[in-house]
Amino acid sequence: MKSTAKLLVSEANWPPEEGQAISFRSSSGSETTILKEVRWGLVWRDFILEDGRVIPEHRISGCPQPQVWRKINEVTDNEREECEERLLSMAGAGMDPRQRDQPFWAELNQYLAYTYLRYKQAECKVEDTER
Amino acid sequence: MSTSDEETEEQQAWRVLSEAGLVEIRLDEFAEKIEAVKRIVIVRLRELLDFNTGIKERESAAYSLGTLKGLELKVLANAPKPPDPSEM
Repeated sequence: MKSTAKLLVSEANWPPEEGQAISFRSSSGSETTILKEVRWGLVWRDFILEDGRVIPEHRISGCPQPQVWRKINEVTDNEREECEERLLSMAGAGMDPRQRDQPFWAELNQYLAYTYLRYKQAECKVEDTER
Repeated sequence: MSTSDEETEEQQAWRVLSEAGLVEIRLDEFAEKIEAVKRIVIVRLRELLDFNTGIKERESAAYSLGTLKGLELKVLANAPKPPDPSEM
């Protein structure tokens, strides 16, 4: 009998493809569901599920360690500005980041992580050159 | 035992973000984390202004600061209200 969900993935064929069944940690324990899309954020990959939830890669079962993250200087100005516009637009529309695994929560998490790393690293470089 | 010299760039980024509580922000900590990130951006912006360098980075930092401020205001405005002590 054919199933719409393909087999669960392993590290050998990472990341999984659209339509595959993936397991991940959620606030209610372990869940298995169908992957709709994998998308790079400003720092890490997000896994978008069929029900619209957005799960960061590190919570997906089988995620290889160490994970592959983007380098801060790989993010273009355009990409960052588009992210900032989306965030302000979502905030302006009354969306609340306190809804775990929802798009605003996911994008704000990544933006704060990216911005912190970007300016923290710049601060460390200044300290190093002053030594 | 691993030392910081042996960390890959990704491991270092993971450690820095974990220590700052920014890998997965707790739902009740968004305003606090936005404030923490704003402080980092302000420090960098001051450096850029003091040394009068990095015009593009200065503009970008100022824009990011504006974005963070805008997000902070919205997040605070939408924050759940604490219970009214008079009703307890």
